[in-house]
Amino acid sequence: MAFTLYSLLQAALLCVNAIAVLHEERFLKNIGWGTDQGIGGFGEEPGIKSQLTNLIRSVRTVMRVPLIIVNSVAIVLLLLFG
Amino acid sequence: MHPAGAAAAGTPRQPSKRRIPVSPPGMADPHQLFDDTSSAQSRGFGAQRGPGGLGYPAAAASPQEAFLADPVSNMAMAYGSSLAAQGKELVDKNIDRFIPVTKLKYYFAVDTMYVGKKLGLLFFPYLHQDWEVQYQQDTPVAPRFDINAPDLYIPAMAFITYILVAGLALGTQDRFSPDLLGLQASSALAWLTLEVLAILLSLYLLTVNTDLTTIDLVAFLGYKYVGMIGGVLMGLLFGKIGYYLVLGWCCVSIFVFMIRTLRLKILAEAAAQGVPVRGARNQLRMYLTMAVAAAQPLLMYWLTFHLVR
Repeated sequence: MAFTLYSLLQAALLCVNAIAVLHEERFLKNIGWGTDQGIGGFGEEPGIKSQLTNLIRSVRTVMRVPLIIVNSVAIVLLLLFG
Repeated sequence: MHPAGAAAAGTPRQPSKRRIPVSPPGMADPHQLFDDTSSAQSRGFGAQRGPGGLGYPAAAASPQEAFLADPVSNMAMAYGSSLAAQGKELVDKNIDRFIPVTKLKYYFAVDTMYVGKKLGLLFFPYLHQDWEVQYQQDTPVAPRFDINAPDLYIPAMAFITYILVAGLALGTQDRFSPDLLGLQASSALAWLTLEVLAILLSLYLLTVNTDLTTIDLVAFLGYKYVGMIGGVLMGLLFGKIGYYLVLGWCCVSIFVFMIRTLRLKILAEAAAQGVPVRGARNQLRMYLTMAVAAAQPLLMYWLTFHLVR
């Protein structure tokens, strides 16, 4: 089985790209995963859904610029070396 | 302080210990991960080598002496050595930012007895009663003093041995080539990384308050390589029957080992009181523990079945 570290890296890049393209207004709000919905109270149990929503929001905020760089590098490398 | 003091007093007699006579800079380490034998040993060796070595330096001194007597080269040597010392200082200062070296040293503070007992525990965890890690003033005790503490020595050695045994197995089937070895290593490492990421994600989603660090996770997940090595070796000696028997035994052992260890880390409150798990939150954590433990036998089979024909 050819499951190497390189393919793991490729899969991770694709997954992060997938999270980054989830549009806040057109999509997430419509399925109730918007960032201002269901923030809930100050109870100790955030629940899985609010953790997921927070995770998506943080990934989108943090990885916006690094993804541009990494994607450009990946495109250039794939064009050159196939 | 008791086990640290007793062990530190008892260890200078055992020769298999200290290669790294070091203590964390500027910090009085109460746990004494490694014994500082540098002064004693160098004194002994210096005295031994002194009278015996006088003949050698005198004979070889003349070409070197002429070189060293030159003041310019003397200065150059002094400058070079000070540059090297500065560079070393810089590296030491910065390496701690990327790799937590002090924390890593904790995981390699093992001795032969610990390794032996831990390997026994990995193959037969059914009789062990107390799975709690002992603490000493808020920090876990070094693996040398507590068999329940995770270490990175066994997983690292087992991983390397697994790669070598895989190469051996491929060789006996005439399928060996050097890049296949690299492929095996890469594949096993990729699965390990995937496991660690999946577990970290689940721990985050379930808001589990645990002191399970990433390195701890890597250590626990690395214990399955021991069973894999056993299975493949038996498969080489006794064919498929031996492989399935030993692998089955090791799978069940690792399953029990992981459940008993992770239960204390993930289900801390429930396990401490010994009550059966109730409530939605605890149930999800129990499912997570079982999922992690069940993934171990699956991966053990997946990573080894193609090596035994």
